[in-house]
Amino acid sequence: MKRTVEEINQKIRDGDVVVMTAEEVASYVQSEGVERAAKEVDVVTTGTFGAMCSSGAFLNFGHSEPPIRMQKVTLNDVPAYTGIAAVDAYIGATELKLDDHKEYGGAHVIEELVSGKAVRLKASSDGTDCYPRKEIDTFVSLHSMNQAYLFNPRNAYQNYAAGTNSSERTLYTYMGKLLQNYGNITYSSAGQLSPLLKDPSLRTIGIGTRIFLGGGTGYVAWEGTQFRTNVETKFGAPVGGARSLATVGDLRGMSPEFVRALNLPGYGVSLGMGVGVPIPVLDEDVMRAAALSDEQLFAPLIDYSVQSRNRRPIKHLSYAELRSGRVELFGKEVRTSSLSSYLKARQIAETLAERIENGEFLLTEPVAQLPSDRSVGTLEVRSREEAV
Amino acid sequence: MAKKKYLLGFSPDIVNEAIVYRLVKDYDLKINILRAEVRELGGRLLMEVEGKAANIKEAAGYLNEAKVDVQELATYVEKNEERCTHCGMCISICPVEALIMERPSWKVRYDSEKCIACGMCIDACPPGAIKFRI
Repeated sequence: MKRTVEEINQKIRDGDVVVMTAEEVASYVQSEGVERAAKEVDVVTTGTFGAMCSSGAFLNFGHSEPPIRMQKVTLNDVPAYTGIAAVDAYIGATELKLDDHKEYGGAHVIEELVSGKAVRLKASSDGTDCYPRKEIDTFVSLHSMNQAYLFNPRNAYQNYAAGTNSSERTLYTYMGKLLQNYGNITYSSAGQLSPLLKDPSLRTIGIGTRIFLGGGTGYVAWEGTQFRTNVETKFGAPVGGARSLATVGDLRGMSPEFVRALNLPGYGVSLGMGVGVPIPVLDEDVMRAAALSDEQLFAPLIDYSVQSRNRRPIKHLSYAELRSGRVELFGKEVRTSSLSSYLKARQIAETLAERIENGEFLLTEPVAQLPSDRSVGTLEVRSREEAV
Repeated sequence: MAKKKYLLGFSPDIVNEAIVYRLVKDYDLKINILRAEVRELGGRLLMEVEGKAANIKEAAGYLNEAKVDVQELATYVEKNEERCTHCGMCISICPVEALIMERPSWKVRYDSEKCIACGMCIDACPPGAIKFRI
């Protein structure tokens, strides 16, 4: 069995494409087999909704009268990066409000913009001959700005370590609140619904791939930061953080349901992003991977009380175990929590399936493949000579 | 037997009253104190009360007479359903399993009957959907 993206798109146009979510297809393949499923199903949709710190938006405010070359910009008192053209800025999700106790940040500004609210823009400048204005204090919204698009350097991580805490005190981490003495376990991936786990070697996903992003439509822009391919696999899927996507998409058309400011006390602000990727079933191999179930997908369990990048996994846990709510660890039953919303992951995969079935969303061939051989380096304190 | 949740407020002049003692002794109530504090503006006491419905009613009358502000609570915490993403971060934090991940809907449900007002879920909730009602 073989089919092409163009054949699938023709079926979408004709209104007879068959789409299943990655969750549905996992059980369908278990009962009917890969061969039959591959023959019957054209597209498998995936979804994930979790904290994606490496997110942010490029904004163009338009020119004021007289014009200003902005050198310092805040949005609702959250600093934005403006070391680019005069009225362009980048608001990063984790940037914190000035003088705030880590509770409000760039993610909140982005969520407010997506919700249609106005945010307060303050900018200052030294003034130049061509940009004489030195200060401006005004309000902007998605309606008033020329461009406002997310450009997220790292989204939809292909798997992620689960966390626990062996120490004597509660830890406040980006993996949430970790109770002392292995008091709980938290995990982040959507497992069997997670986009990059369902096409583990990224055969069908590459630069230019059209995706569901934050409720609207987006695209894969590049490899995500910390993209790596040299990770141990089980059933063909990596058992730890591996590939990731840089994504881009217009904030207009997104929804606060899928672009949500998060606050992890003791750590900081992050952005809850909803990402969904359609996987064209080109052959049985694509279907086999897309149908991997929570029983076949594993995450390493890391002790976050070890404050080093060289943390060895305590063990590997399947997403079926993690999702069951209880895991046995050192002879003790430990409860688990997910940081990503399985409900929203499912809603994303279902929404994407609907959009495809309704002919509103066509599939794409990658313009270029993402790297097939990448490792991740470390940062050392080194001399100028050692760095090159 | 009835079981109710109350938040009592005391002005500074009556913080020395042995209110709980009276509730136990005179009205035969079983009191479970969940939170208690005294500050500049007075004191607050969060408690669960168990006993005969008639006794609870009479005790409430006594408290009113003693100038204690009595507020009956349906729940200790409130989950904002619009804000909640149903991630489930709170699930393993709650010591009494008052926050439950329902299957197969994968929605988080708050069971106010089980809640002991410890507040541990509040700073664990990433979207800030859970707030104390007190």
